[in-house]
Amino acid sequence: MFTSANAPLTAPVRPGGTLERWAERHLRILMLAPTMLILLGLTIFPSIYMFYAAVHKISPNPDVPWDFVGPGNFLRLLSDQQFHVALLNTSVFTVSAVTAEFLLGLGLALLLDKYVRRLTFLKTVLMIPMMLPPIAVAITWKIIYEPQFGVLNEIMFRLGLPAQAWAGDASLAMFSIIVADVWQWTPFMFLLMLAGLASLPVEPYEAAELDGASSWRQFWDLTVPFLKPVIAIALLLRVMDALRLFDLVFILTGGGPADRTKVLSLYIYQVAYRFADIGYAAAISLFVLFVTIVLSTWFMKRMRLAE
Amino acid sequence: MMTAMTIRARSRTREVFIRLSAYLTIFVALVFTLFPIYWIAANSFKFDIDIFAVPPEWLPWHPTLKHYDEAFIQRPFLRYALNSFLVAMGTTAVSLVFGTMAGYALARFSYPWQWRKQISFWILSTRMMPPIVSIIPLYLFFNYFDMLNTKSALIVAYTAFNLPFATWMMKSYFQDLPVELEEAAIVDGDTRWGAFLHVALPLARPGLAATAIFCLIISWNEFLLSLIITLTEQAQTLPIGIAGRVTQYKTYWGEISAAGFMACVPIVIFAFIVQKHLVRGLSLGAVKG
Repeated sequence: MFTSANAPLTAPVRPGGTLERWAERHLRILMLAPTMLILLGLTIFPSIYMFYAAVHKISPNPDVPWDFVGPGNFLRLLSDQQFHVALLNTSVFTVSAVTAEFLLGLGLALLLDKYVRRLTFLKTVLMIPMMLPPIAVAITWKIIYEPQFGVLNEIMFRLGLPAQAWAGDASLAMFSIIVADVWQWTPFMFLLMLAGLASLPVEPYEAAELDGASSWRQFWDLTVPFLKPVIAIALLLRVMDALRLFDLVFILTGGGPADRTKVLSLYIYQVAYRFADIGYAAAISLFVLFVTIVLSTWFMKRMRLAE
Repeated sequence: MMTAMTIRARSRTREVFIRLSAYLTIFVALVFTLFPIYWIAANSFKFDIDIFAVPPEWLPWHPTLKHYDEAFIQRPFLRYALNSFLVAMGTTAVSLVFGTMAGYALARFSYPWQWRKQISFWILSTRMMPPIVSIIPLYLFFNYFDMLNTKSALIVAYTAFNLPFATWMMKSYFQDLPVELEEAAIVDGDTRWGAFLHVALPLARPGLAATAIFCLIISWNEFLLSLIITLTEQAQTLPIGIAGRVTQYKTYWGEISAAGFMACVPIVIFAFIVQKHLVRGLSLGAVKG
């Protein structure tokens, strides 16, 4: 970091209108205030309002007044089996998808670092999937997974394997979603790991080489500790994205078959808009918000420790 | 002498082997990455009968623009694309103006206590908030102000995640600029605000451009908030239009392929424009690639 960036930098007060001088004096607040006010309005206010909604029973009819139910909606979380299924599905998805993406991304980066470092064009081509609209990715995989004329079953056939319903099969649906997500987001891990590897200092490796350390030892004792901050950021961002998974599920499975892919975002959407139970949907949302805050604070603390 | 040569020969074999497997991996990764994109493009140029063909038509032997006509002429996908574009421009403009000022403030000014750090992390944490969480209050809010199904509502909603992004990105770009240039401008008689406007801002132009493109991409791709806020083609964005053609009874494969492929084209162009900034953009300015 630049130490000079922290140094106070002030201009002497010059003649001018009173308003101008006042603005100049309070510049550090005036430049920050709009953003803070907008974000207060768009994130803090909704959170508080949602807490207010969560302690009410809200009728879909706007003329019916809200009915105070206290912690009722939160207590429902304990007994609602659908919610438990959604929580489990989100956890399974997050852990499997992020682990697969991380290991693949790191492995590819370690293997290919030397070869792609100068090939910017090739690197950018490999990065395309993560930039694409998730809806476009979802329909692309929907066409590939299609049981009757989909390309994947054609490949299975050529390999002498039985055709599958993929996203339509209860035991394969979650796997199908994970594969599509891995396709889209492994490039992200790969790119961040490459950036991490490119920033490694050379000297410790030369010293280790002189000491005759094996490449395995070098990997664990040098590469992993140096990469830790980048790994932490990459995992944090991916976990937060995986927790909010919606688009892929909405298009590929709609939460089915048999609720096998019903994730938290989709369940909240269904409770709020199909069952029109806004109070309960707010309670689930607050639970998700709580989990997000706990996880991201934990990650960010560790991140700062690592630096 | 002999042994040294054998060892060298052996390590050469090993090097060749690693090199070959690296090239093979790059090839496999390229095929795995590009095939789905190729496939949606190919399907968008096929007649229905060729889309449903078993075994599949690997190349569109009988190319047609039928589905492009269906989607963009007969159905309102051009309208959806225009909505997406206008919303993306609006939210990018708002996020960039306020995010640049806030990013500059957080990069340059000192605040009492630990406020600089605290505020930075608070802004970052608003970016982490899942959209489904804020959607219920936003929906009630837009409903109250009669703003449902408008593009302005989408711009407001998208600003919630684009503004923290722009702030962090610009903060990271400003931190990379040497502060001495602004100091010199102030010594030469410029005001503090003038130093920002005339010195720092022009120097941060590449960063501004990259941040703008990322904001455009993020809004262009957004689906969930638009799904809930919009109802008709008046405000519906491209992803909503595409999802609307996947119904319980029928999926319009050709149409969604054409529209889906068209939704990807500007993104791919943007990806090549911002390739140097990808790492920084994707890590919210935390990793400088």
